[in-house]
Amino acid sequence: MDRPERMSDSNTGSPRGTPAQTDTVETGLVYAHGLAAILMLFASLVFGITVSIEMVWPNALDGSPWHSWGRLRYDHTQGIMLGWLANGFFAFLYHSVPILTGRRVTSVRLGQWLFGLWNCVVVIPGWVLVLAGFSQPLEWAEFPLVIDAFVVLALLMAAVQFLPPFFSRGLEDLYVSSWYVIGGLVFTLLAYPMGNFVPELVPGARGAAFSGLWIHDAVGLFVTPLALAIIYFVIPAATRRPIYSHFLSMLGFWLLFFLYPLNGTHHYVFSVIPMEAQKGAIAASALLGVDVIIVVANLLLSLRGTGWFARDVPLRFVSTATVFYLIVSIQGSLQAQMSINRAVHFSDWVIGHSHLAMLGFATFAAAGGITHAWQRIPRARYNPRALEWAYWLLLGGVVVMVADLTMAGIVEARLWQSSAPWLDSVLAARPYWLVRTLSAIPITAGFIALLLGLTTGKRGAGMDAVRETVGAQPIQEIAPRLAVPELS
Amino acid sequence: MKRFVRMSYLVAAVAGVGFFALSVFVLGVWPGRVLEEETRRMSPEHPLPLTASEQRGRSIYGREGCAYCHTQQIRFLKSDVERFGAPVLAWETRFDYPHLWGTRRIGPDLSREGSIHSADWHYSHLYSPRSVVPDSVMPSYPLFFQGGPDRPTQEARDLLAYLESLGRARELAGPEGEARMRTVSHRMEEMDLTSPVLNANPARSRRQGEYPRLSLGNDPARGEILYRRHCAGCHGQRGEGDGPGAYGLLPRPANLAEHEYSQDRLSFVLWNGVSGTAMPAWRDLPVQDLASLAGFVRQFYAPRSEPELPGQILELGAKVYAGHCAQCHGDEGAGDGSAVRELRMVPASFAGARPSFAVSLRAIRSGVEGTPMAPWTGKLSEAELSAAAYFVRGFYRQ
Repeated sequence: MDRPERMSDSNTGSPRGTPAQTDTVETGLVYAHGLAAILMLFASLVFGITVSIEMVWPNALDGSPWHSWGRLRYDHTQGIMLGWLANGFFAFLYHSVPILTGRRVTSVRLGQWLFGLWNCVVVIPGWVLVLAGFSQPLEWAEFPLVIDAFVVLALLMAAVQFLPPFFSRGLEDLYVSSWYVIGGLVFTLLAYPMGNFVPELVPGARGAAFSGLWIHDAVGLFVTPLALAIIYFVIPAATRRPIYSHFLSMLGFWLLFFLYPLNGTHHYVFSVIPMEAQKGAIAASALLGVDVIIVVANLLLSLRGTGWFARDVPLRFVSTATVFYLIVSIQGSLQAQMSINRAVHFSDWVIGHSHLAMLGFATFAAAGGITHAWQRIPRARYNPRALEWAYWLLLGGVVVMVADLTMAGIVEARLWQSSAPWLDSVLAARPYWLVRTLSAIPITAGFIALLLGLTTGKRGAGMDAVRETVGAQPIQEIAPRLAVPELS
Repeated sequence: MKRFVRMSYLVAAVAGVGFFALSVFVLGVWPGRVLEEETRRMSPEHPLPLTASEQRGRSIYGREGCAYCHTQQIRFLKSDVERFGAPVLAWETRFDYPHLWGTRRIGPDLSREGSIHSADWHYSHLYSPRSVVPDSVMPSYPLFFQGGPDRPTQEARDLLAYLESLGRARELAGPEGEARMRTVSHRMEEMDLTSPVLNANPARSRRQGEYPRLSLGNDPARGEILYRRHCAGCHGQRGEGDGPGAYGLLPRPANLAEHEYSQDRLSFVLWNGVSGTAMPAWRDLPVQDLASLAGFVRQFYAPRSEPELPGQILELGAKVYAGHCAQCHGDEGAGDGSAVRELRMVPASFAGARPSFAVSLRAIRSGVEGTPMAPWTGKLSEAELSAAAYFVRGFYRQ
């Protein structure tokens, strides 16, 4: 297990079960979740842009509760996590799980219920309830408790839908993406109730300790594993070469699941929470950076030969996500350290960091996963030129936004360290906030291009694009390439 | 071999769940126990929980996302302590379901907000933040009012009640509470953060205190910028006390064009604020800036010739003043009469600020709304009113 796996063509026979067939993928559900993801992305985007405008022009809207800053801000992050990313992940899971396991997901009917529950009972009512004034003021947990109950139910349904194919296949053959899918679904199911329910029952500083855990688990146990599952899936599937090292994949996976949950308290450094817990979380944050270097090295080595910018757009999305993942994680490791944290905590630096994570890393991975799956839906429309635009517009927008917010954070931090009046830091940040709002232009355009890329163009053009960029690649060939060779 | 592999994955799966359980224990349950113990030992025996109104206000605060711009967590850091006051301890948050610590600080931290601003300031600020803080980016909340800052709804009252409760528990603990906390917690000593003041907010007004004597700066341009940024919201562009923020404030902001201020008085007010009114202190501005500001404020008053009155009227004024005014305003008109301690705000100091005759007469006739100054019409004759109004102008000391 400790040698880099270089699977030759003679070694790609799936150890058991039949090779995945196109018809085991529930393309209808891929399609539905993919489109829902992008539509909900637009709603979340509107929430985000509105709050950013309100920071530059506070009188831009009247004081109606339905577009008051705080409520829109709640809907923005909940929409990104549960509306956009979760739907995107589900779309990808419907595509990848049958290929990874050679088996169908549990039930199409269950899938339809899950789709309806997730979108029509969780996300949309969650948004409306928040705007109507029913919410909880906990980060990444703003939807009210009644919605949380349905989220847990939906996560259970997702586990029933996606996990049995892995277990019936036999665990020893699992490819690393499968591990991340299992890990992501199981641990989100554990972490979600902790983050959403416990702080309502445990007061003040004690509850904050659990909030800190969840703030990090939402990213670390839900978003990151599923985004990495996509990246680990798309790279070998699109390059037609196995991942560089299965050993490094597994090392990265286990270190991630050991270290990520232990990071939580770094959101409350210098607080009243016991210093030992803070320091432990800070040490875990530094180690996590090491883990990410292992994961990213393995992924980038797997990309050797594709050039700086892969011609296949989904592959380019996920390889860019990989680079974002490296940057955001190293940044996270650094800003958890006390000397940096004391200055930049509470500032726009952190907002830049979270956008680098969610809009850079996770969104690029999800966009790559959805477009990759789309290419392989025979009847789906696919517009390669629009997706080309989407990639560059989003890349430009994210870079401008994150660089801008990071600089704003440094300016704020310096003023807070000085004796300058508080308001000086607000005034100094305003030009940066304006640039942040303007960065929404390329980002919005990029998402529109993404939507056009998946809804316009010729039907079945996705597979043509694949043939042009990496050569013909029938879908059933993909599965063996992802599979782990016999471990005997 | 196969069996071994299968076993190893089983072990790994159990370990995976174990990792999560470990994180919940070492970063959630265990710190919780420590904090619970700390709360038990540091909390006053009968800490005051929130009232029903404050609790409702807290829900509104949570619902509107206030915690996403205003932290309630002063960290154990010099920069936080110097700006806001003593770090927040676990027991202070013991009634917070859920906590409202926040992770972003766009506006200032509110852990010790309770005693900073007056109610009329809060209402005006909630109704229209830029009316009292021209450069604020806070959203306005007219939905808590029925058309004006002076017409708060129940929600506004609840929210205000909550804001006024922030930091209260710690203040009520008093010096003996602080001493007790120090014996229990080594953290403050550890970090060399023995904060000298519980509430370090520079806007907090106080009735007395050291203040730098400002040499009226000669940088009117700087003074004007500062005035527009910090003062014009309430005192108005021309200093007439008619800025957009004035509408909701009681007492009304001072009319700077109708008062001649002494250097000493301006120094005191800018440094210490006017306790009991919406006028905050400006201790966070550099002293040079305050001097420029004071210089700019002084130019609003155009010296004018007031009518000379015959000596016997002055005598009448002195008699009226001694009989009715001196208990509050003091024998020398310095706002330091014997009754001052009983009043919720310090009476006007005529020694520091000379009102124009018209303003003085209006105040004595109709009283000053929002202050303990009562109208004297009907209790005193017209002659007595005029005489007293004129007489107090003589206390002024340049």
